[in-house]
Amino acid sequence: MMLSRKSEGTMSQPVRLLLLKTFVRSFLLQTSWNFERLQNLGFLFMILPGLRIIYGSRIPEEVLERHKDYFNTHPYFAPMVAGATLRMEATLAAGEDPQVDISSFKKMVMAPFAAIGDSLFWGGVRPLAAIIALFMAAQGSLWAPLVFLALFNLPHLVCRGGGLLLGYFGGLRAIESIQKFHLPDLSVRCKEGSIILLGVMCAYLAHKGCNLQDIPSCWGFIILPVALLFARFARQGVSSMFLILVTTTSLLALALVF
Amino acid sequence: MLWVDYVFTGTLAMLAGLDRVALLQFMISRPIVAAPLAGWVMGNPLVGLEVGALLELLWLGRLPVGASIPPDDTQVAIGATVLALSMDPLLGMNGMPVVILCLLTAIPLGKFGQLFDRLARHANGLLLKRNSALASGSPAQLERLHLLGLINFALASLATFAVILLVGTLFLYNFAPLLITAVREAGLSLQYSFTLVGAAVLLGLINVTRGTSLFCAAFVGTLLVLWLR
Repeated sequence: MMLSRKSEGTMSQPVRLLLLKTFVRSFLLQTSWNFERLQNLGFLFMILPGLRIIYGSRIPEEVLERHKDYFNTHPYFAPMVAGATLRMEATLAAGEDPQVDISSFKKMVMAPFAAIGDSLFWGGVRPLAAIIALFMAAQGSLWAPLVFLALFNLPHLVCRGGGLLLGYFGGLRAIESIQKFHLPDLSVRCKEGSIILLGVMCAYLAHKGCNLQDIPSCWGFIILPVALLFARFARQGVSSMFLILVTTTSLLALALVF
Repeated sequence: MLWVDYVFTGTLAMLAGLDRVALLQFMISRPIVAAPLAGWVMGNPLVGLEVGALLELLWLGRLPVGASIPPDDTQVAIGATVLALSMDPLLGMNGMPVVILCLLTAIPLGKFGQLFDRLARHANGLLLKRNSALASGSPAQLERLHLLGLINFALASLATFAVILLVGTLFLYNFAPLLITAVREAGLSLQYSFTLVGAAVLLGLINVTRGTSLFCAAFVGTLLVLWLR
């Protein structure tokens, strides 16, 4: 089944199939992750069903060749790059000029999307969802893992699915469209929210700990300088494994001595 | 612990390990999810929840960016849960002190996860170098080659899980009776030290201006309200 020029920009059956297969395969983007070319084969794997629909069963060698290059972006933003790439491939296959060289386009967008994705999902949404779930876990609620998964995966799946649609139907304009969402600002808000919740959680645990030890909660303020000191160590590159092992060993030693 | 439990937890370890990088990335691999799942498989999700809650923040700030590989907190979470639940029949120990002891045993072994993950990625690279499909350009072969990476990542996860379980069991079998008293004595402070260190490390690694001020304001405000109410 080849994609006709007429059906290219509409939700015709081949386009639906192309988008669905690309979406499903985006979950396997990093399966062959390697140090040499990172996600190159994963990206090709993701767009292969689309290329088959665009070019038919005989995909030209040069088309495959341009997608074997080094590729690395955030896995949740890769479908958007894939969508735009497939749109450009469809334009090229129809004998028209896609305006930008496809390989250059991929090279141009992968790094900014990687930076936005890392900051938004790994640095923003994930800590925020985790801290909210930890509040529930502190109460012994078994809903905590489900709440974490729901809070994290809702934006994750919207980004994957919406990104693919935006990339395919927007083509090169997708890059301009994504700027309207102010994702870097959103990631800063998520990080700020995480830090505030982290402060609240530490205070709550300090209060709970003091109550369990039958001492006034004001003793919990001791935690603050310790937390800030450890944060400073972490910023200087001291590993969390080292910090936890030193802290727990010291506490164990103190428990044995006193 | 029955052999069926090992099979089920091993399968979970493999699937959750794949979720880290190679497949889905739905975050089933996070300790707060993986540990309760392991506990549920073994009949006690609450122990898993305790393990997951203590471990979650510890490596949350380490971003899996590019070629950077954080320690395998997924296998640490699953391994520590399995160890904690198998200590009861093995040594007659249970409760939070055992959870903490198992976590302290499993955490350093998470470094093996980094090693095995790195090996899996090198194996993927070798797979691509050795195979002529990349050069010949047969799409079907390329697809098969890509999917072979799943085996490498699955083996890396299983290997980490096995190391944590074997070394952890050997260590705990020999040293748990000696260490458990100290862990019980340290009690609550030990339990809270995990959250404190995790929160502090996260605070240090989240790159945002005014981060420290926000944290201090939230901490002081909340503790004042809780203290004075």
